[in-house]
Amino acid sequence: MSPADIDEELVEAAKAGSTGAFARLVDRHQQALRAFLRRTCGDWAQADDLAQEAFLEAWSKIGRLQSGASVRAWLCGIGYNKHLTALRSRGRDRAREAAYEAEKPPSSGAMTDERLTLEAALSELPADQRACVALCLAADFSHAEAAEALGLPLGTVKSHVTRGRTRLLEVLGGSDGGR
Amino acid sequence: MADADDRLKALFAEDEPPARDAVFSAAVMAEVVRRRFIVDMALLATVATASGFLLWALWPSIAPAVATLSQALAPVGACLTLAAAAVLLLDRGVIPLGGRNHG
Repeated sequence: MSPADIDEELVEAAKAGSTGAFARLVDRHQQALRAFLRRTCGDWAQADDLAQEAFLEAWSKIGRLQSGASVRAWLCGIGYNKHLTALRSRGRDRAREAAYEAEKPPSSGAMTDERLTLEAALSELPADQRACVALCLAADFSHAEAAEALGLPLGTVKSHVTRGRTRLLEVLGGSDGGR
Repeated sequence: MADADDRLKALFAEDEPPARDAVFSAAVMAEVVRRRFIVDMALLATVATASGFLLWALWPSIAPAVATLSQALAPVGACLTLAAAAVLLLDRGVIPLGGRNHG
């Protein structure tokens, strides 16, 4: 049985009210969702809070998940909307968001200099571009899957990924390789 | 090109959470169960309140019928209760059936 089939079976059981099935979905997708949110918002504690809220919303809305849809993309989409809502509720414009990112204490875990540089470069990217980079470059999402998750046109996702990748490699001192 | 992508991927991998995190999953499920309990309680309270109001509103008209029916059905109700109790006790083996082989 493929992972997608297992997800499908668990989703059907969760739709029928099985908390056990939903717990297995949480186990299977917590890593992908938390990693995506950590890369998108940069703050690990906040990312985990958003991931928890996203799972709670997923539980209440699982009846709306269409058969055959990617659970991973659906969860990341919910998480991304939570992140955008959190950003808006802070009432900051992009410049102030950037200031917040810069002032933020470092996330848990020791970071290499290169990782810190990457983190700084990521924080300068616009939210949509950053999310596209987090999904397509870090988490092996296809462009189509990222477009579905983020609710963006496919062409926009492709251009965000290309620009984001170029910017990150530029900051890290690497070559773009003409991609 | 592949090297650059591998390098980026390796850097991104540094903030990867563990594949299994029992603490995180338990926290999520505890909140799911708590919310479900609150929703169930709210639903039960709503149904109970609505039923109470309905009964209160209809009581003057149904009270005579209930009084009449309760007198007429009292013997039937008592017989059914006794029969149900007997079936339950026999089924659970509290009262052994004569000649029954329990294996």
